[in-house]
Amino acid sequence: MNKTQKERYLREYYILKDQGKPFFPYAVLKDSVMAAIVLLVIIVMSIVLGAELGPKADPTTTTYTPRPEWYFFFLFELLRVIKPPALVFIATIGVPTICMVLLILLPFFDRNPERHPLRRPIATIAGITTIAAMAYLTIEGALAGPPTQIELKTAPQFESGKNVMASSGCLGCHRVGENGNAGPGPALTHVAGRLPRQAIARTLVNPTAPMPSYSRLQERNPKQFNELVDYLGSLK
Amino acid sequence: MKLLPGPLRRRGRDEDEETPRRGNGNGWRNGRTVEADEDAKEREKQADRERMKAAALEVPIQALGYVDERTGAGPFLRGFLFRKVPKGTNWFYTLGSATMFAFISQAVTGVFLAMYYRPSAVEAYSSIQHINDDVFLGQFVHGMHKWGSSVMVILVFAHMGRVFFFGAYKYPRELNWIIGVVLLILTMAMAFTGYLLPFDQRSFWATVVGVNINASGPLLGPYLADFLRGGSEFGATTLSRFYSIHMLLIPGLIAALIGAHLYLVAKLGTTAPFWLRAEKKRDLAREEI
Amino acid sequence: MASDPSQRPHKPKSKYTADRGMPGAFEGETVTRRALFSGGVVAAGGIASAAFGLPALGFALGPVFEKTEPTRYEDVGPEADFNPQTYVPKMITLVPDIGEPGKTTIYVRRKDPTRDTDKLNYPYVAISTRCAHLGCPVRYVQAAERFICPCHGGVYQFDGKVAGGPPVRPLDRFETKVQNGRVLVGPRFSLNSKLDKFKPRDPSNHLDGLWHYLYPSRPTT
Repeated sequence: MNKTQKERYLREYYILKDQGKPFFPYAVLKDSVMAAIVLLVIIVMSIVLGAELGPKADPTTTTYTPRPEWYFFFLFELLRVIKPPALVFIATIGVPTICMVLLILLPFFDRNPERHPLRRPIATIAGITTIAAMAYLTIEGALAGPPTQIELKTAPQFESGKNVMASSGCLGCHRVGENGNAGPGPALTHVAGRLPRQAIARTLVNPTAPMPSYSRLQERNPKQFNELVDYLGSLK
Repeated sequence: MKLLPGPLRRRGRDEDEETPRRGNGNGWRNGRTVEADEDAKEREKQADRERMKAAALEVPIQALGYVDERTGAGPFLRGFLFRKVPKGTNWFYTLGSATMFAFISQAVTGVFLAMYYRPSAVEAYSSIQHINDDVFLGQFVHGMHKWGSSVMVILVFAHMGRVFFFGAYKYPRELNWIIGVVLLILTMAMAFTGYLLPFDQRSFWATVVGVNINASGPLLGPYLADFLRGGSEFGATTLSRFYSIHMLLIPGLIAALIGAHLYLVAKLGTTAPFWLRAEKKRDLAREEI
Repeated sequence: MASDPSQRPHKPKSKYTADRGMPGAFEGETVTRRALFSGGVVAAGGIASAAFGLPALGFALGPVFEKTEPTRYEDVGPEADFNPQTYVPKMITLVPDIGEPGKTTIYVRRKDPTRDTDKLNYPYVAISTRCAHLGCPVRYVQAAERFICPCHGGVYQFDGKVAGGPPVRPLDRFETKVQNGRVLVGPRFSLNSKLDKFKPRDPSNHLDGLWHYLYPSRPTT
């Protein structure tokens, strides 16, 4: 803002301030009511939701699915979607640092004297986009399940095959419904619409790299292998 | 008698000597009719009560005067409490003080939790279980602290969003915005260091990942991770470090920065809402800048 | 113009205070009493701050520069427990004397000369469960012969190399040796994608090609 704009702002501000009311008791009343509401919310949450501990910290576990607190879900989801290893440090350090620097320097690159959101469209749109992106990433992060669980509803005769799939590590590379990872393998939610049952079985035994071969599963436990193929054949 | 000043002269007795009795003693008393006399007595009693009230009020007034004379706090408090807030100040403006109040709630519940918590890798989990199960209102205070942290994070982002959309970070409040962003970062750091302390599965692994995120920075990252962990492995000193950072280092910084933030808010004033425009007053000479 | 200080002719200032017109100056004085004391205050303050600050800083930063644990080998079982086709999970102690929080799980198998073509000459392959992306605990899935990380979708092959997802290098391993028919597991080491041995690194630290200059080894390991 240049000098004229600053003086114009200050002039207008002091007129409005003069027409206002004293801080005590008018603003203090609103602040006190809000403080009481905040305290009430915290107390009610504590009574209703409690403070149960999870199981004790066990560094030797191999079955636990780590998750951060909900307010870090947006970072967590960012780490899940940025897959190439060379870009990992951009997701962990780069993006958050750039965002913090942009936030701190905001008053220095936004020198527009306008304060009404409709009269400063760039700032308003940037703000709404950021909020929407963070909300979307947070929700996606909350929905990300562990790689040994398939939530897609299925007919009872395919339940056993679904369990075989969940425990065979397929979700590490494939997506089925809301579960699993979006790579390096293609999503399998509608695989039966693309491949007939025989082709599915052939792919399991003789896949394209980097997919591992499940021929050993077919040799050692043909029943489970067939259940798996049946389940995959039901995913239309 | 006559030598005593008016207010201290006792009623009823001295008058006798002054005004000779009149009449026959019936229907007259002290030179007045009975009704007039009783009215006069009522008024005297009321005047006495007023005097006593004024004398009683003198006590706190003189006490405050004693403190004011020795601290000079009167003008400061008057300026702070009775300053004007601009026309149109509404409920959006309460988010900032609500955040500070959530912080105070966290500080107070944190102090009480710290009286029972044992910051050792072996005993931390069982000390929290002890708080939950055995201590009177333990689970309640623990719950307030745990959910209070989520409430505080929500409020601090809501406050930041309000300031952003109201354009309240522009001239002359740029420094206040910078202090606010630093407070936001410190709040997230409090949340990060705090949730290791219960030392359950979720705490432990979330912290492992968080420290390794720090390690991913080129060149200096692994050293920063070593500093947080107190070594190359997650060990005995890691929990103590996080406890010290969470209890002492960051709350001190937050308290100091909140003080600076409030000083600037009181000095510069809060902005008027962006939908208000000042009516042009014809008499501009009365403005002060 | 003449009023601009940078344009006026510059007279060099004399180092004697008598020439500069300081009141009370005597013959040959170059440093006033005020200047001496001001400088003394700054120096003394600096020494006091350093005397209390440097030890405190050293105390806080000490663990970053010292290696606290000596090399240890831990017995994980007799040779008969292990085979070359599959991994057997075992628990070892990474940080002694703190009980449960100091332990970790590792997967051990005997080295298979036909499958393991690397240049590491340890008799057994002891793979760490610490994911090389950000440290979550990976699990071995026998059906797929893969290690899967539950956090961000990392997958590793049978020998620990990355099969997919964001991990930046293969899973860490531990040195192994055999003594009196028992398998001993020693200190950790890290690998790049060609399975060359490096001193241990934190997860997320790349080691391929020029990357290992950005993530050099540190004193604590």
